[in-house]
Amino acid sequence: MTSIAIAPVRADGFFSALAPRGKAVLLALAALAVCLLFSFPVLWLMLTSLRPGTGVYYVHRGTEFTIDNFHEVLAQEIVLKALFNSFMISTLATVLSLGITATSGYMLSRFKGPIPNAWFSSIYIFRCVPYVAWVLPLYFVTQQLHIFDSYWGLLLPHVAVHICFFSWIMKGFFDGIDPSMEYAAMVDGCSRWGAFWRVAMPAAIPGLTALAILCWLYTWNEFLFALILTAHETPILTVVMAQFVHELGMEWHLMSATAVIALVPALIVTLFGQRYVIRGLRV
Amino acid sequence: MADVLLTNVHKSYGHVLAVKDINLDIKDREFVVLVGPSGCGKSTTLRMIAGLEDISAGTIAIGGRVVNHLQPKDRDIAMVFQNYALYQHMSVRDNLAFGLRNRRVPEKQIAAAVDRAARMLSIEPLLDRRPRQLSGGQQQRVALGRCLVRNPKLFLFDEPLSNLDAQLRAQMRLELKELRQRVPTTSIFVTHDQVEAMTLGDRIVVMRDGVVQQVGTPLELYRKPVNRFVAGFIGSPSMNFITMRVAAQADGFTLNCEGLRFELPARLFSDLGRHVGQSVCLGIRPQNIRLGGAPGAGYLRLKGVLMVNEQLGHEQLLAIRAGASEIRIAGIDPDLSLSAGVEIEAAVAMEHLHLFDSD
Repeated sequence: MTSIAIAPVRADGFFSALAPRGKAVLLALAALAVCLLFSFPVLWLMLTSLRPGTGVYYVHRGTEFTIDNFHEVLAQEIVLKALFNSFMISTLATVLSLGITATSGYMLSRFKGPIPNAWFSSIYIFRCVPYVAWVLPLYFVTQQLHIFDSYWGLLLPHVAVHICFFSWIMKGFFDGIDPSMEYAAMVDGCSRWGAFWRVAMPAAIPGLTALAILCWLYTWNEFLFALILTAHETPILTVVMAQFVHELGMEWHLMSATAVIALVPALIVTLFGQRYVIRGLRV
Repeated sequence: MADVLLTNVHKSYGHVLAVKDINLDIKDREFVVLVGPSGCGKSTTLRMIAGLEDISAGTIAIGGRVVNHLQPKDRDIAMVFQNYALYQHMSVRDNLAFGLRNRRVPEKQIAAAVDRAARMLSIEPLLDRRPRQLSGGQQQRVALGRCLVRNPKLFLFDEPLSNLDAQLRAQMRLELKELRQRVPTTSIFVTHDQVEAMTLGDRIVVMRDGVVQQVGTPLELYRKPVNRFVAGFIGSPSMNFITMRVAAQADGFTLNCEGLRFELPARLFSDLGRHVGQSVCLGIRPQNIRLGGAPGAGYLRLKGVLMVNEQLGHEQLLAIRAGASEIRIAGIDPDLSLSAGVEIEAAVAMEHLHLFDSD
């Protein structure tokens, strides 16, 4: 006697059983839920920044709103100075890092031999060191070089970290660009450097833009280096924000207002560049 | 325009020898094709001529000037790449003008040269487009235009047709031939496709494992291949090879293998005397075998059983089994009805036999 195995009939899933309109509504609701989840802290921060100092613990039920917090923080010289410093250091660190990272990534992508290998190994080793472990040695180095609490004292560590983190990503971008274009340029009259500058770099612009945005945002938001490597001469926004919590109390309303002000440039950079970030990181 | 001379050119990557002792004399205005299977060193040779690879030993001279230590930009060459290598961030017009701008040619002359090349290749309507907006064939034309516009001493082509579909490839082959008649610059063309090599080349260089196997005109290579590799590589369908044992007899030699025995006269095959008692490889082109009995004394008879036939429309290809050997026959009348298992009698003229050392 033979036995017949009957395959179990697969029931249609809930999602596939829905009408197309139902699917769209469900997806929209899911997207909304995710957006709310991520935007909730930001909305809370904004609400806090608009509450008087006495109302910050009742953000969810108060009705009194004010923009005095913004007036107060923007009247403080240290906040304005910190805004300027943060902007300058983020921009300079981005420009310097990208200049070095682009050539470093190109070398790692296109050249083989002892020098690229040694460079690759160094980057790898530096990446293995926990970020926090760099801070104390860097404090002593900046003291020794008399660049503590200056632009250079903060710029150089940032650039060093960016080179280690972004050289690999840049290598990936150049790996995705056909080297034949550079060979064609070399045959067409360019030197190797000319081929890099005139053909490979323009082709890597989406990747470079993505990295520039990531680099700028990373430096703008960075706290630890700024806390340890700067003092009164070069105030940085993230550190100034933290100083609203002091021995006399916690000025959440002022801290929130400063944070909202700090959000604006970051938001502009992100909105301007998100297209490039998505395209660049897809390479 | 210039002649190209390669003398004892070697290329090695560490212990791996990519190209071994190449000697090649390419005449002015000649179109030479380097052909061979993947990894045979043909593209490496081309890249060494272009200056994109250093050479490990030997000399390369273009137009009488040794270029070993010159950068690609100083060799006065132009190159078409397999994937066209167009500058994606530039328009077609700027792609064509790029080389001339690098040489600081006045803009007026550049515009005239670009227009002339565009007209020659019928790409005038495409001049303001970006490369990604073009089809494969159009990109190929732009890549050719980029070469033409500079009027260099030497054209180098690195498998430029291999990314195109079969129909477009055939069309581009014709266009290349036509273009060559109008612009007879010395050219070196690399391909793995023997049809391209046969149709385009004034001379063909067959390479294998970094070593040149034979240099000759397409007909020389087809009719007088120097070894089994060249014989098998050139011609489609590939040549039939049968390993046979040589024995001497009164007025000649016999070749024997399972199911086949051929008698060859000593006056035509005197070289076989050195191989008596040994094995040789007998090569017969499928096109040289005709169906039916031997029409005369200068023919060898083949008998076998039909395994399969392939209908191509303009001809049929047959595969027959004769003893332990499988023999392919080409050029059969497409209307001839043959079914598998039927006994086939065929003949081949002795002048079409090729004998090679048995591997």
